[in-house]
Amino acid sequence: MKAESRKSDRIAGALLLLLSAGYGLEAMRLQADFLADPLGPRAFPLLLAAALGLFSLYLMIKPDPDPDWPPRRVLAGQLGMLLSFVVYSYALAPLGFLLATTLEMAWLSRLFGADWRRGFLGGLGLAVGLYLIFVFGLGIPLPLGRWWPG
Amino acid sequence: MDVLAQLAHGFEVALTPLNLFLAFSGAFLGTLIGALPGIGPVNGVAILIPIAYALKLPPESALILLAGVYYGAEYGGRISSILLNVPGDAGAVITTLDGYPMAQKGRAGEALALSAISSFIGGTLAVIGLTLFAPYLAEWAIKFGPAEYFALMVFAFSTLASLAGKNPVKALIASVFGLMLATVGIDPGSGVPRFTFGEMKLYDGVDFLVVAIGLFAISEVLTLMEHSFMGTAQRIKVQTAMVSLKTFMASLWSILRSSLIGFFIGVLPGAGASIASAVAYTTEKRLVDREGTFGSGDPRGVAAPEAANNAASGGAMVPMLTLGVPGSGTTAVLLGALMMFNVTPGPLIFEQRPEIVWGLIASMYIGNVMLLVLNLPLVGWFARILTIPRWFLVPAIAALSFVGVYAVNNSAFDLLFMTGIGVVGYLMRKAGFPLAPVILGLVLGRLMEVNLRRALAISGGDWSILYASTLSKTLWALAILSLLFPYLVSLLGSRRRGLTLDE
Repeated sequence: MKAESRKSDRIAGALLLLLSAGYGLEAMRLQADFLADPLGPRAFPLLLAAALGLFSLYLMIKPDPDPDWPPRRVLAGQLGMLLSFVVYSYALAPLGFLLATTLEMAWLSRLFGADWRRGFLGGLGLAVGLYLIFVFGLGIPLPLGRWWPG
Repeated sequence: MDVLAQLAHGFEVALTPLNLFLAFSGAFLGTLIGALPGIGPVNGVAILIPIAYALKLPPESALILLAGVYYGAEYGGRISSILLNVPGDAGAVITTLDGYPMAQKGRAGEALALSAISSFIGGTLAVIGLTLFAPYLAEWAIKFGPAEYFALMVFAFSTLASLAGKNPVKALIASVFGLMLATVGIDPGSGVPRFTFGEMKLYDGVDFLVVAIGLFAISEVLTLMEHSFMGTAQRIKVQTAMVSLKTFMASLWSILRSSLIGFFIGVLPGAGASIASAVAYTTEKRLVDREGTFGSGDPRGVAAPEAANNAASGGAMVPMLTLGVPGSGTTAVLLGALMMFNVTPGPLIFEQRPEIVWGLIASMYIGNVMLLVLNLPLVGWFARILTIPRWFLVPAIAALSFVGVYAVNNSAFDLLFMTGIGVVGYLMRKAGFPLAPVILGLVLGRLMEVNLRRALAISGGDWSILYASTLSKTLWALAILSLLFPYLVSLLGSRRRGLTLDE
């Protein structure tokens, strides 16, 4: 029988242990000018740091078998999706909601197997629909973009 | 009698045209959201919060809408379970066991009708339970001091840890992670900024909505990327959804028993619709499956889980409303939504804001009737929703998440933060960490810390106050017991197995 790999939980445990240490150190630095209660701002975070430290040690000692991480092709798609989310977040104000959303949706549709033409049409429809609902239906302004005249 | 008078006032609130419309919209959208594989009730509620917020609805109206989505989704989840063998949400997984075989035998219409009626009975019985129990529970909970509250929250986390997911330690880690997120921002007790790293945007704390949508919706979109196949129904024809009186009567006892099971499991913190439907199904299988027809299209196998998951979503409202301590991911999101409206659920809400609680409860009676009507004749229409291609559906979920979060603060920072939380949520899902405890921790973190500090201020720093009273002792004992429960079960199980081997 092949031994199951349990690397994922060990790595997760190590990262969480680091998090609890960093969080705990940051909590130690907290100081209140006056104390309204005997515990102050530090105690609860320190408790949490200690708890997370213990749990993550336990996770490293008794890890579960690794999950099936997605194959490279899927991973590439997920990365492409995440990158586009970052670009979209920055591009929303300058490009405007309609243009940015149409492009983003076309790209995502493509990642999920549509061709460019369908992706663009679907994206455009969705962007216009959401724009109408939010701006005219709900009265929430969405940016038109810096290139929009006026 | 007092309860009836209160309920009558609730109906006055729920029967205003706006609230009727919102209950209908919630029920309708909920069925839709439940029917679509990929968006479950949590995602649906989280994505709709910004819209409810933007409409400047009064809190009771917003809650009526969002709760409608929640219990409506339990109706909708069954549609794709029965027609495609793909559960529409986690609570409808069990429904595939007998629902899909029924559809294969050409009894899809019958399965849909029976499950709609079962959902209605389960949902309505749960609202009756909510009406009867909630006021008493609230009255009792008013006596809770800070120490009892702290112990109660520990109990909620530990039951959630022992029930959600396979590994309790992972659920505990997820809870602590959520609690840590809640400590970010200005400390209400001393005015000191904590874990903000000088970022002004974090002074108010981590935005609940950004975390909820990122954690559930964005991580879901990333997960959907993995599945190369998701059932898109090509040729679904459901003529009429009707069930004969004979079939219905044969399932009636299963429906009633499962509703009871579902309600009480729903009330328990941590156990929601998915556990309720599984327990109800196995119970019915043990009780009434004499010919061994369960699993091959037995109507009772469709009725039981559907009655149970709808009853569970009603039951889950009980601790959320009366104690302010939600027991599931979706009720935690509902609680977070109420907090955005400056309403804090808990025992006092029954006295201070009766219109919210009773308006909601009354609207749930109405909503269940609407759902029954929607789901019987219109089920064919909802089934057609399943033909929306994946390349459009998944990007649309992403678009709705982004526009909703952006609408609240117009901030690119929020969008990036949401994406980051989405990645964390995806990794957690993959590695078997449940997500609900994170949101519960985020929603309860402040309250938990405030109660801890209040308790110790009362005792002058003496920690023993946390377990001084009988009630808090009981709660601590229950908390420890529920954490040990999975280990005890496996211990007993292995001993029993050992015994059979000896024989």
